[in-house]
Amino acid sequence: MATLDIKNLAKSFGSVDVLHDINLSIADKEFVVFVGPSGCGKSTLLRIIAGLEEVTSGDILIEGQNVNTHAPVERGISMVFQSYALYPHLSVFENIAFPLRVQKLSNSDVKARVGRAASILQLQDKLSLKPGQLSGGQRQRVAIGRSIVRNPKIFLFDEPLSNLDAALRGDMRVELSQLHRELNATMVYVTHDQVEAMTMADRIVVLNAGMVEQFGTPMELYHRPETKFVAGFIGQPNMNFLTAKVTAASAQEVRVDLDGAITLALPLAGDTVQVGDPVDVGIRPEDLRIVEDGGFEMHVDVIERLGGVCIVYGRIGANETRYCASLAGDARVTEGSMIKLASDPANFHAFDRAGRALHRLNVSFETE
Amino acid sequence: MSQSTGQFGATSLKSSPLKSPRISPAFFAWLLVAPALLFILVIVAWPLLETFRLSFTNARLGGESYVGLENYEKLLEKRKFHQTIYRTFYWMFLSVSLKLILGLIGASLLNAAVPGKALFRVLVMPPWVIPIAIGCIGWLWLYNGYFGILSGTAQWLGLIDGPFEFLAHKKSAFYSAVVTDVWVGTPMVTLFFLAAMQGVSRDLYEAAWVDGAGRWYRFRRITIPQIMPVIVSMMLLSAIWTFNSFEVIWILTEGGPRSASTTLIIDTYKTAIGNYKFGEGAARAVIIVILLSIFSLIYLFFLNKVNKIYGSK
Repeated sequence: MATLDIKNLAKSFGSVDVLHDINLSIADKEFVVFVGPSGCGKSTLLRIIAGLEEVTSGDILIEGQNVNTHAPVERGISMVFQSYALYPHLSVFENIAFPLRVQKLSNSDVKARVGRAASILQLQDKLSLKPGQLSGGQRQRVAIGRSIVRNPKIFLFDEPLSNLDAALRGDMRVELSQLHRELNATMVYVTHDQVEAMTMADRIVVLNAGMVEQFGTPMELYHRPETKFVAGFIGQPNMNFLTAKVTAASAQEVRVDLDGAITLALPLAGDTVQVGDPVDVGIRPEDLRIVEDGGFEMHVDVIERLGGVCIVYGRIGANETRYCASLAGDARVTEGSMIKLASDPANFHAFDRAGRALHRLNVSFETE
Repeated sequence: MSQSTGQFGATSLKSSPLKSPRISPAFFAWLLVAPALLFILVIVAWPLLETFRLSFTNARLGGESYVGLENYEKLLEKRKFHQTIYRTFYWMFLSVSLKLILGLIGASLLNAAVPGKALFRVLVMPPWVIPIAIGCIGWLWLYNGYFGILSGTAQWLGLIDGPFEFLAHKKSAFYSAVVTDVWVGTPMVTLFFLAAMQGVSRDLYEAAWVDGAGRWYRFRRITIPQIMPVIVSMMLLSAIWTFNSFEVIWILTEGGPRSASTTLIIDTYKTAIGNYKFGEGAARAVIIVILLSIFSLIYLFFLNKVNKIYGSK
């Protein structure tokens, strides 16, 4: 049971607090992704789990055992680095075999284990080459191979796909998901790319400024973001926000006034807001549609036609707030024109002054 | 060259020597390299050829005449000269080995994450920065039997009964010269190794650490292979400099006592400049060139092998 528990963890570098009060419980065989903007502390958290950094306070428990003072090798983890960290002077075989050589395993054992890893990663015909002779994707596989041979309890990945081009990244995402299924191991993966997080994770930890904003399944994060930060971070293109004022609030409904022009009755639990409170109303670009009458008027600035969808960027309201709509690929819009956008009230999100979400009612989604 | 329709382009094409019917492109190319070629001829080739020519003469202050291979024959027959060659290689081997070992240790220490390492890095520099003559005079005092700190400390510790002149005895003079040469040469080797070590990605060490590799294993399996091309390069450069090292020995012992610290370069100087036997000195210089050439060829072969083993491709 390779569980990982992080309790009240904090980390400071000198006077700079990097992580505050992190509490996470990762289940056995789970694929958890840490995601967040640059500098949010996600890599530091991973390095702390690996044992490459010490905790300032708090506890790291692997399989229920406190490993705060354990050296990396004693924690039963393996790590894949962003730079791959392959030894340029060693062949692919010796790179993969490195941890086994450290353990002083017999040559036959080393050969068998490296062979097994190479066959999982389809590297059998590359074993005699040096890392410099491999493509980016192959190097990545070698790095993964080096972590597989140790049979670790937990795999740690530090932005392993960030050095690959977009097409290869897509392929490797699929391969890593397959690998997770094949190895059936606990994996913790760090990325700043929300697409990687959404597509690969069983659960996602969204980090911001050294704190956990939300820990949940990709669909929970998408449909029920707990904070405005998560709502804006998860989803592509980003969620649109407009400032509004609460005109009525009940446990079943919140009425808001947008720019004094439009009133929306939203199916949200309004027990944390009061009449007159300012809120940020959010709507995802893909939940907007063009209407003939009613809705918001948007001045279209830029259109990105991607074939299947058409992303329209523009401005709405008296404050000319930047807005974005993801429409059908053949949507009839032209740059410089005015269009009217609307959405089902159930699609709207709202966040109070502190950025906390008002609970959405009547939202159902599959978590798997 | 693309044709330019502009006024400037047309003018510059017309005035280009490449387009002139009087100067061929090949001649123009020679014209461009002529200054550098002339420089090399005057500074390198001519002295080398002149040395080579002199080695077949009995040139002295009074004049010279052709003697054929006599200078070489005399040298190769001399047992003393054989000893000098052996001593020179021993001197080179000992000094270079110590410089490389101390350089590696020093660079590893300076590369370690210790507080105040910037200060230590500066403190390594003086032996290299101080003029060799000044440094050697300092070492002359250290080696002095009557007021030198080494002899004094040895007496205080009871290791020796009376004053010991390090430079007055054959063995101790030779090894004292080696120590001083190592003192002069180690900082540069250290700094080159340090620069190479700092170029090794931190991720490699962390990956090895995660895999359970200890300090010594990481040093052996990562640091050494990663800086191996620099080690080999420094080995050659240091070997050539040590082979040709003159000031240290000359200031400390002038090659003595009784030729105990005479290397080929000191022997050549004594013969050509001290005894005015330019012809015989030139023959020694030619032998030095031949020996160093053979050494360099072996090195290039070795470097090629090292790059194949430790290179990334």
